[in-house]
Amino acid sequence: MRILLVTSVDAWTRSVSTIHKWIDAGRALGHDIAVYGEADPDLPKLKFTTDLKGVDLALFVVQVPGDFPDMPYLARVLDGIPREKRAIVDLWGRYNETIRVDHDFNHLEKLDGHQAWEWHDAIAAVSKLILQPTLSPRREGVKPFLFHGFDEASITKKYTSSAEAADAWKNKPYGAMYVGSNWHRWHQMRAFLEEYGKVREEAGQACLIGWDWGARPDWAVHKAIMGVDADPEFLAAQNVEVRHGVRFDEIVGLLGQAKFAPVIHRPLFRELGFVTNRSFETFYADTIPVLMLPDDFVEKIYGAAAKKLVPSKGLASLIADALRQPEAYWDAVLKTRAHLAAKHSYAVRIDELTRMAAK
Amino acid sequence: VNILFVMKHRGNAGNTHAVANYIRVAPEYGHNVAMYGDPQLHLPELKFSKDVKSFDRAAYLFESEIYRLSRLEEVSMLSAIEKRHRMIFDMDGMYSPVIKIDDYDFNHASEEERLRWKEHFETLSDVVMKPMLAKTDRPNVRPMTFYGYDASLEVKPADAPEKKYDIMHLGHNWWRWRDIGGKFLPAIESVRERIGEIGFIGLWWDGPPAEGKDAGPEAAFESDPAMIKRLRIRTEPSVMYTDVIRTMSTAKINVFTQRPVLHHMKHITLKYFEIFYSDTIPLLMLDETIARDVYGPAARELMLRENIGEKILDALARPDHYRDVVMSVRKHLAANNSYEKRMAELVSAIPA
Repeated sequence: MRILLVTSVDAWTRSVSTIHKWIDAGRALGHDIAVYGEADPDLPKLKFTTDLKGVDLALFVVQVPGDFPDMPYLARVLDGIPREKRAIVDLWGRYNETIRVDHDFNHLEKLDGHQAWEWHDAIAAVSKLILQPTLSPRREGVKPFLFHGFDEASITKKYTSSAEAADAWKNKPYGAMYVGSNWHRWHQMRAFLEEYGKVREEAGQACLIGWDWGARPDWAVHKAIMGVDADPEFLAAQNVEVRHGVRFDEIVGLLGQAKFAPVIHRPLFRELGFVTNRSFETFYADTIPVLMLPDDFVEKIYGAAAKKLVPSKGLASLIADALRQPEAYWDAVLKTRAHLAAKHSYAVRIDELTRMAAK
Repeated sequence: VNILFVMKHRGNAGNTHAVANYIRVAPEYGHNVAMYGDPQLHLPELKFSKDVKSFDRAAYLFESEIYRLSRLEEVSMLSAIEKRHRMIFDMDGMYSPVIKIDDYDFNHASEEERLRWKEHFETLSDVVMKPMLAKTDRPNVRPMTFYGYDASLEVKPADAPEKKYDIMHLGHNWWRWRDIGGKFLPAIESVRERIGEIGFIGLWWDGPPAEGKDAGPEAAFESDPAMIKRLRIRTEPSVMYTDVIRTMSTAKINVFTQRPVLHHMKHITLKYFEIFYSDTIPLLMLDETIARDVYGPAARELMLRENIGEKILDALARPDHYRDVVMSVRKHLAANNSYEKRMAELVSAIPA
């Protein structure tokens, strides 16, 4: 099957890692999957194409306006591939009514110049098959499709037992690490770090890697955009190391330098039950993921074993317990990895997509 | 047919005026024409719409820049109206080879720029319309005089405003200085004392735009403010398109110049028609063949290519004679260029 992924890719942000996995999975499974556009020297492992001949399905992957190609590519793909051979996955909930959760939002004209109706019209114009990365889309007609997946081959260290994993895990330079930008995650991160502070001496230093953790950026100040707050004094008091963002292909390796890695979803995504690349990617790393997510969401996506990785009795309690008995937590990690590999592989995703497109 | 124009709209631009006419006449023929965008309070006669699904044809109109919608709007537009139902009006000759006239005016600064335009045009539409009379040998390029002539807009002498000027030039100083500063002003210098008030209405006669190079090539705004002052030319700001005809009617004579590169490409602009609505004597700094093609044989009498000073004095001295010539041209224009005719041409130009 020939699948075209119509989106923008950037080595530093959004879904670039997932796009790589789609290309790789396509190659392994005998599909021809490529990103629509000219080759990007910054992303040499990605297959790009502008050849529209024989495309069975064009999947528009949309987060920001720039994910729709610029001219002349936009007209070529819309004119060249009939609507019934197109699908669109709305990764940021643009196709919903306007939602505000804390400071988070799915539409904000002052940020990107677009009102809700423009998103709705554009998405509906592309295809009748509108998908969102949640198990329960809110809007009628939208189908659930998680898009992001779990690639078992990307697990950096495969342990044969939880005992082996726990033994290898004990000596890490950091106690906790989060890699990702400070975009509507500050309040959750602050709460995490406050709790983590209670066990930091035993667990190790925390590290934040990503954009805008060190200070509230000027553009957010000028546009009065909340949700990228920062408190450098608090971070200093918590002895948190702050580093700038990194390329997508450095993330998993970095996370493996810490004992714990929180999985945090921005408020909008929590509200909509959306998954992201990081929902799955953290489980590739040689670390214990801490799922700062609702219980029922965790069970549905990650399986029953993953509930142990949710700090339902408080983060400090989970960290302290994991330090005392890491095998139990690694057992949960290994079982969750197996669950993800079985239920959320990219082969599963491709199969789900092609079945929906065939209807 | 429901046609949506996608274009930059400005109250003081001729193309906006022309589309206002299409909007006006369309319902009489069972058609619906609108301009893409939100309603503008200062342009109440223009019908705007962003409901692209209500339209089955798109007419893009490009001048000297590629007019773009926002990315999301473009997605909706291109999805709703497929390529075979789109057309492009190439008003400034950008879908043409690189042309430079007398090392002065040009359509493209480089071949690379031309290729960029070509790619955009050919991706967007299979049909490029050129506002001209002459046929082309390119199968995807079709001539269509975009503008029409609406005889009801002709200003009768009894309704005309008081004449404040003997001579007027209404239009921006955009690639006009070779005609005005190089031919017209030197020619009238020796007879200036025999001519009353002269007015140049429009931008950039007193100097180039404040934006500097961002506004366009320096040569486009070339002028000689000292010469303008010496010849006692009164300069005034531009007027809204709704005031163009009445403003031109405040002068006994209106001088018509056309941007050189467009004249070379034989593009017919709105001014070709607008100037004949006015209660004035239009004198034409145009190629005579083009003038006769548009205006009919009477136009010969209105040519202002040679003996400019004498022609001006003659027109001022024999207004009745020239008024008869103007009436003859008006009849020719009305017979051949109604908006009703244009509307039919527009509808038939976009494949069903």
